[in-house]
Amino acid sequence: MSLVDGLKAGLLLFVAAIVQVSILSQIHVWGGIPDVLLVTLVSVALLRGAVVGAVGGFFAGLIVDTATFGQLGLTSLMLTFAGYWIGRYGETTGRDRAHAPFLSVAVVTVLYAFGLLLVHFFLGERAPAVPVLRGILPAIAMNLLLTAPVYALVRRLLRPASRSDLATEVQLLG
Amino acid sequence: MAPPNRTARVAVLGSSVQRSKSGHPSRGRVTLVRRLVLVVLVVAALALLTISFRSPTSGALHDVQGAGASALRPFQIAAERVAQPFRDVYGYFHGLTTAKSENEKLRSEVKQLRNESLKYQSAAAQLPELKRMLRYQEGPTFPKDYRAVNARVISFPSGPFTQQISIAAGSHSGIAVNTPVVTYNGLVGRVTNVGPTTAVVTLITDADSAVPAKDLTTGVTGLVRRGQGDSLILDRVPKDQVVQKGDRLVTQGTRDPRYPDLYPYGIPIGRVLSVGYSDNAIFVQVQVAPYTQFGSFDSVTALVSTKPAPKLP
Repeated sequence: MSLVDGLKAGLLLFVAAIVQVSILSQIHVWGGIPDVLLVTLVSVALLRGAVVGAVGGFFAGLIVDTATFGQLGLTSLMLTFAGYWIGRYGETTGRDRAHAPFLSVAVVTVLYAFGLLLVHFFLGERAPAVPVLRGILPAIAMNLLLTAPVYALVRRLLRPASRSDLATEVQLLG
Repeated sequence: MAPPNRTARVAVLGSSVQRSKSGHPSRGRVTLVRRLVLVVLVVAALALLTISFRSPTSGALHDVQGAGASALRPFQIAAERVAQPFRDVYGYFHGLTTAKSENEKLRSEVKQLRNESLKYQSAAAQLPELKRMLRYQEGPTFPKDYRAVNARVISFPSGPFTQQISIAAGSHSGIAVNTPVVTYNGLVGRVTNVGPTTAVVTLITDADSAVPAKDLTTGVTGLVRRGQGDSLILDRVPKDQVVQKGDRLVTQGTRDPRYPDLYPYGIPIGRVLSVGYSDNAIFVQVQVAPYTQFGSFDSVTALVSTKPAPKLP
C-alpha cells in the first residue's frame, strides 16, 4: 500500500468519523442509527486488507471517542477488531465477490453492536440490551443502504490491489 | 523446471508454495507483522480504555482528549453546517407528515383545557354564592332545629308551565317531601318529589304554592301566592290591615303546634312592591317582589329538620 493510498484511506475514515459523530448519530430510525464510519471501514478493509483495516479502525475509533468525549479506547478496540476481521475476509475469500461488502456490513453491524454492549457490560456501565436488539434490524437496513454508494466511492479512491499484492500464498492443485 | 518467480521447493499437489516474488515479504513474516499490528493496537486500545476508565474526568489522557476534541470541533461544526440545510428539509417534510396527528393531538388538548377552564370559571362563579350560603348557615337568621343540605341545581324550569327545579340531593341526604328549600337571599320553595340522590323542588312562584307569610313591620299575616304573570302577591290580607310599600315579608312559621307549618319562621320571602285597595275586592291587593332571583342561582340549601317530620293536616 502506497503512502498516497494510506492518506486517502485516512482521509476517508476521518471524514466518515466526523460525519458519523456530527450528523448521522442524530438520526434515529426505529431505534437504529446508520453508521457510515463502519461501512467506510468495512470498504477500506475489504480493499486494503487486515492491517490497514485494523490501523484504520483504531484511529477512526480514536477520533470518535475524542470527538464525543467518550470512553477513550472503547470504539478503537471494537473497530480494530472489525477492520482486522473484515480485512482478513477480503484477503482470503471475499475480495472478488459482489456480495462481500453487503455481507460484511450486515455481519459487522451486528457484531459491533453486541461487542459494544458486552464491553459496556464488563465495564460495569449501563448496557441496555433491549434497545440495542430493537435497533439492530433498522441499523442493518440503513447500513446496507449506505454500503453501495460508500463502497463505490472507496473503490474509486482506493483501486483494488492486484492479487499478487494481497495473496502471499497459493494452493497448487496440479 | 520451475518458473522464475517460484522457489526451488518442489511443487507438490496440495501443498502450499511460497511465492518468492522480489519485493514481497515471506508468508511467515507477513502473518507475524499482521498479528503483531493487531496485538499492538488491541493492547493500545485496552490501555487507553483502562486509563480512561480509571480517571474519566482528570489526568493527562483526559487533557489530551480535551485538546483533541477542541481540535476536532471545527470539523464537526463544518459538518453540522453542511448538514443543516438537509436537516431543515428533512425537518420540514417530517413536520408535514406529523402535522396531522399533532394537530389532532393539540385539538384534543385544547378541548380538554377549554373544558377545564370552563370548570374553573364555573367554580369561581359559584364561590361567592357558596360563601354567602355559608354565611347564611352560620348566621343568626338560620332556623333552629334544622340542618343545611347544600345541593347543586341540576335543572331549571323548562317553561312557563313548570315552576320546578331539580337538585342533586335526595333522601340519602335526609331530604324528604315538603323539605323547605332556600338560598342565602330567601325562600325558594319546597320539595315535592324525592329520589335517593335527587329531588324536585316546587318554587313559590308555582300556581299551587301558598306560603304563610308575615309582614315584619306591621305584623300582618297572609298567604304568598303567584299573582299575575311571574309576580307574587300577599293574599288574604283584610282591608282593615295595614301593609306598606317596602315592608319585608318572612315565613310565618308554626303558630299552633297542632297545625305545624311546613316552613320555619323567619325565612325572607320578599318586599312589598305596591299596595292596592279596590271596592270590589275583599282583600288588599299586595304586590310582592321576591328576594330570590329564580333562575339565577346554581345551588340551594335544603332545610332538613332535625326533629320528626310534621304531619300534614
